[in-house]
Amino acid sequence: MSRYRIPGKGRIDHARPVRFTFDGRVIEGRQGDTVASALLASGIHLMGRSFKYHRPRGVVSAGSEEPNALIGTQRGGPDRFEPNTRATMQEVWDGLTTESQNKWPSLAFDLGAINDRLYMLFSAGFYYKTFMWPKAFWDKVYEPFIRRAAGLGRSPALPDPDHYASRNLHCDVLIVGAGPAGLAAALSAARAGAQVVLVDEHAEMGGTLLSEPQLRIDGAGAWDWLAATLAELSALPNVRLMSRTTAIGYYHENMVGLCQRLTDHLASPPADAPRERLWRVRAKQVVLAQGAIEKPLVFDGNDRPGVMLSGAAQTFLHRFGVKVGDRPVVVTVHDSAWHTAFDLAAAGMKVAAIVDLRNDVAPALVQQARTLGIEPLPGHTVTGTTGRLRVASVRVAAVSGSQVASGRRIACDALLMCGGWTPSLHLFSHTKGSLRWDAETGAFLPDRKTEACQIAGAGRGLWGVAAALDDGAKAGALAASAAGRVAGAGTFAVSGDRPGRGVVVRELPTDGNPGRAKAFVDYQNDVTAKDIRLAVREGMRSIEHVKRYTTNGMATDQGKLSNINGLMIASEALQKPAPEVGLTTFRPPYTPTSFGALAGYHKDDHFEVTRRTPIDAWADAQGAVFEPVALWRRARYFPRAGEDMHKAVARECRAVRSAVGMFDASTLGKIEVVGPDAATFLERMYTNPWAKLQPGRCRYGLLLGEDGFIRDDGVIGRLADDRFHVTTTTGGAARVLNMMEDYLQTEWPDLNVWLTSTTEQWAVVALQGPNARKLLEPLVEGLDLSDAAFPHMAVAECTVAGFLARLFRVSFTGELGFEINVPARHGRALWDLLWQAGQAHGVTAYGTEAMHVLRAEKGFIIVGQDTDGTVTPQDAGLTWAIGKAKPDFVGKRSLMRPDIVARGRKQLVGLLTDDPATVLEEGAQIVADPSKPLPMRMIGHVTSSYWSEALGRSIAMALIEDGHDLQGKTLHVPMEGRTIAARVSGVTFYDPEGQRLKV
Amino acid sequence: MLLIHCPYCEETLPEAEFAYAGEAHIARPADPMALSDEEWRDFLFIRSNPRGTHFERWRHLHGCGRFFNAVRDTVTDKFQMTYKAGLPRPDLSAMKEAAE
Amino acid sequence: MTTHDREFRAAGVTVGELAPRLRFSLRLRPDNLPQARLALGLDLPEKIGGLVTAGQRRALCLGPDEWMLDCAEGDRPALPAGLPHALVEVTDREVTWRISGPRAAELLSIGIARDLAALSPGKGCRTAFGSVQAVLLREGEDSFTLSVWRSFASHVAGLLAIGQRELACGL
Ligand SMILES: [Zn+2]
Repeated sequence: MSRYRIPGKGRIDHARPVRFTFDGRVIEGRQGDTVASALLASGIHLMGRSFKYHRPRGVVSAGSEEPNALIGTQRGGPDRFEPNTRATMQEVWDGLTTESQNKWPSLAFDLGAINDRLYMLFSAGFYYKTFMWPKAFWDKVYEPFIRRAAGLGRSPALPDPDHYASRNLHCDVLIVGAGPAGLAAALSAARAGAQVVLVDEHAEMGGTLLSEPQLRIDGAGAWDWLAATLAELSALPNVRLMSRTTAIGYYHENMVGLCQRLTDHLASPPADAPRERLWRVRAKQVVLAQGAIEKPLVFDGNDRPGVMLSGAAQTFLHRFGVKVGDRPVVVTVHDSAWHTAFDLAAAGMKVAAIVDLRNDVAPALVQQARTLGIEPLPGHTVTGTTGRLRVASVRVAAVSGSQVASGRRIACDALLMCGGWTPSLHLFSHTKGSLRWDAETGAFLPDRKTEACQIAGAGRGLWGVAAALDDGAKAGALAASAAGRVAGAGTFAVSGDRPGRGVVVRELPTDGNPGRAKAFVDYQNDVTAKDIRLAVREGMRSIEHVKRYTTNGMATDQGKLSNINGLMIASEALQKPAPEVGLTTFRPPYTPTSFGALAGYHKDDHFEVTRRTPIDAWADAQGAVFEPVALWRRARYFPRAGEDMHKAVARECRAVRSAVGMFDASTLGKIEVVGPDAATFLERMYTNPWAKLQPGRCRYGLLLGEDGFIRDDGVIGRLADDRFHVTTTTGGAARVLNMMEDYLQTEWPDLNVWLTSTTEQWAVVALQGPNARKLLEPLVEGLDLSDAAFPHMAVAECTVAGFLARLFRVSFTGELGFEINVPARHGRALWDLLWQAGQAHGVTAYGTEAMHVLRAEKGFIIVGQDTDGTVTPQDAGLTWAIGKAKPDFVGKRSLMRPDIVARGRKQLVGLLTDDPATVLEEGAQIVADPSKPLPMRMIGHVTSSYWSEALGRSIAMALIEDGHDLQGKTLHVPMEGRTIAARVSGVTFYDPEGQRLKV
Repeated sequence: MLLIHCPYCEETLPEAEFAYAGEAHIARPADPMALSDEEWRDFLFIRSNPRGTHFERWRHLHGCGRFFNAVRDTVTDKFQMTYKAGLPRPDLSAMKEAAE
Repeated sequence: MTTHDREFRAAGVTVGELAPRLRFSLRLRPDNLPQARLALGLDLPEKIGGLVTAGQRRALCLGPDEWMLDCAEGDRPALPAGLPHALVEVTDREVTWRISGPRAAELLSIGIARDLAALSPGKGCRTAFGSVQAVLLREGEDSFTLSVWRSFASHVAGLLAIGQRELACGL
């Protein structure tokens, strides 16, 4: 079955067969295989269809840069499906299910491939040109067509059942990449005693060493040296090795994000194991040892299955014991592919030819090719390939100067290309480090650094394992020294190294018409050399524009294979040198990262903090319906059997107006303001006067921003000369405290006053209604609750039901009311006792919805609902709350700004619909004259609107231009299909004289 | 994520503990009522928004709770220094000379 | 041994909620420290993060003018009336856990971005666990206490439990 597997070769476990499926077909791989290597071992190159043209595509690389072999993976149940997984990275295990993508009805016969025939239609900028008009076609025709035709895998339809972890980690030296440079860096830094983290995205560490077993390092075979090195490192307590871990982003101050894949390679992961873990690593020093990525060559037909990077073939051979074909041809502009050919030949493959554009290939290479029976073809080009689902032949031709001779065909079943190597600059670019063009290697190299990092090995253009080891050792020593250790760099004796050299080309020369060539630059986004030239012809000058117009480099591989080739072609078309054209920006993540890993613990119950009051469990048990208010969840209403919200709220409101209601007000923000200058501080912060407020009394406080707009409000009680109990809105608590701290610390640091958040120290139960005193009185000790002794807006410390309490006589409903603060741990007990005692008085629990109705009946505003950050006290009708005699308070000066005193401001008014049964919608717009043509001028909007059970009609509050002058006028609220007439009124709808408080 | 040196804690700590608090060295006028509309407008709304060196405020919200000042380059996002609230705007050119 | 105990043992860290302890937020200017120290019988540390214990009283310096003062039940610490200060009880505001075991710091690192190695035993700080403000105190190499405001407790406790299961599973 695995005809292309070489017995005993590679690093896989030949004794452990693994069965998985690909498009329903059972494939036998070996433990240690990737999906790609196992498929290749079975002779399968065709692994997907391309994005735009649905062209058959095979695996190109052996790593995370893979653009073509993207598959869907199913790990266990249907909810563990992931699209666009790289077949080159997914390890196989018994029972893994995989599928190819972007094909219908089958991978071998795909109807979408008609797009390939419409090639001319889909050229660069086709999105912008083809689908411009008519506008109506977009929804119905173009978008569905594009969505069906283009795109990669299918999205998972079910919630992800896996869990994802995250961790913060601090270290001296983080090394990214465990190839020779990274390993040598780790040795230097670890031996110096530095806290070292070494990560590699592959299942196995070693990088290039895994594909170069012929090397000898310090007298040992490469693989023995690797094993010994990893053993030394893992035995050190100051070293953490993490494989299957991708550095996805490099952020400020040496923070690197790592995504560690924990279970995707396991047939049966342990219970509770996270699938992936996101590490936020803060390193004193970072060593980037990410190596280099091989460049494809650009020529007609360079995307047929079987055309792949030569280094990939070498990896499949040495690491997985897989022959990528029986009869490969190599096409190259770099020596490294010659060595690949030699390795392949030595493993028994019949390498038909090595085509090299260069005339001056080293004679030793040419000689060795001949010795191995390979036809060397220096000074030759590839002008085309044949084969539908697999490359079948390659057309080669001699090149002399700019002349391409007529070619000949060479039969082959694989074509291995090498356009040279390009340093992996992605992470370095995340730091906005600058690059410089190195003409000699024809590559961009890292230049000016912005972070504390070292770049080692091929990542800075040093080719060969010996150079990488030495450079890595130095980088590791530098990093460890910079992190405060005494470090030295070891040296390595390397033999069998094959660094090689090469040249840079744009496209391979051809005798054909380049305008007809399907010479792909970006495999994943189906961008050809022709597309890039077209973009330049059509006026794109910046490489960033060329990128967006053609989509070159914009696929999920972020142009790892295509960016440099695209740049070289664009630079020729623009007739500007490459460094002047520049490279597009790489951005995190380095490789596609699951949303799960980024979300981490923020899912399900922990998606966001849910703050609960001490009384929350009682409400829950009563079947309350909750609503979120800031991070809190609050009981909105308490429906009884058969009640909807309307009925429940009406009942709750009736109970408060006729008997007594109980309300959990614990979420109210509380700030204890203490110190000899407490009153002075509040005088300056709030609009109201505080100096003369007696201890034991409360006052409504209004807080403005310096811009004069209402920020918050709440009742403030004076407990002693130097102690105030300030309450804020539920959502405003943190903001208000921050604002107060800001003024106190930076404007008035001379004041002797301190602020302490006591929101959570106290549980608060509000008793509201004519029976409130009757219910409360028997439970209170140490306080006379009579109206004379404890009038409206009084505060005192006493005991309630045996608990030390701060008792406020306040009302947000217009009824006789008390708010009982007890230490939070007693909140539930207090609630239960009051509930029990209240049964005799008709007590009813009410929620935030009834609270809103009751306060609206009284015209009390809710900051943030009836105000929106642009409402002044005048606008809200709260000028009574301004201490007129005060020389200054926060926001006072702004109340005289020309715009604030000008006419035309939106002012808060009441609104009574002509039809009392009609309840307006909150947010509805208001117009003066609905007979005017559309669009009508909107003069305001409804801010609060309810059914008032007490009044037997609807009530509303609205912000309306010059509304205070419109009393009694009829305005109109246009809604879908009808217009509602409503009369402007005052905002106090219920008991305007406040008689009900005087009891 | 930035690292920020808190001049009160005297520690360099992750940005997650801090909150940004706008431009620094904009003192609330001692007598706002004495200001013209234009002067008051400038105090309220006009900010320097420079490309490069920016004097700004941060609060060590999840830490010592202190507001403090910082000098940060808005292009590179690098902090040049932080200093306690109430201290005068540092003379950067003098510091640069001293460093050289 | 329950399944839970086994899990927690495997995790190498235990998390236990502590009984509420009388706790105050104490605020005063540093220049008034000598009088405050005298009145409290406690050598209030001046350096942020510093912790001092005397008898049943313990103070952690959280800011230049702020101390978290823990006392025994029934204790009524007081400062002279003429000394400008604020003393506000916050016992019920917070929930405190002891997190201990060889992997305690590792467990905390799921939520705390600070480098815990920089917090030596006998030191504490206010910080954030995820998005939640917390006071962290390192009692010993492998023992911490973590306090958060009451309404955040179930959220943080849930995360700590997930973290423990994660540590126990070995991946
Ligand atoms: Zn601080």
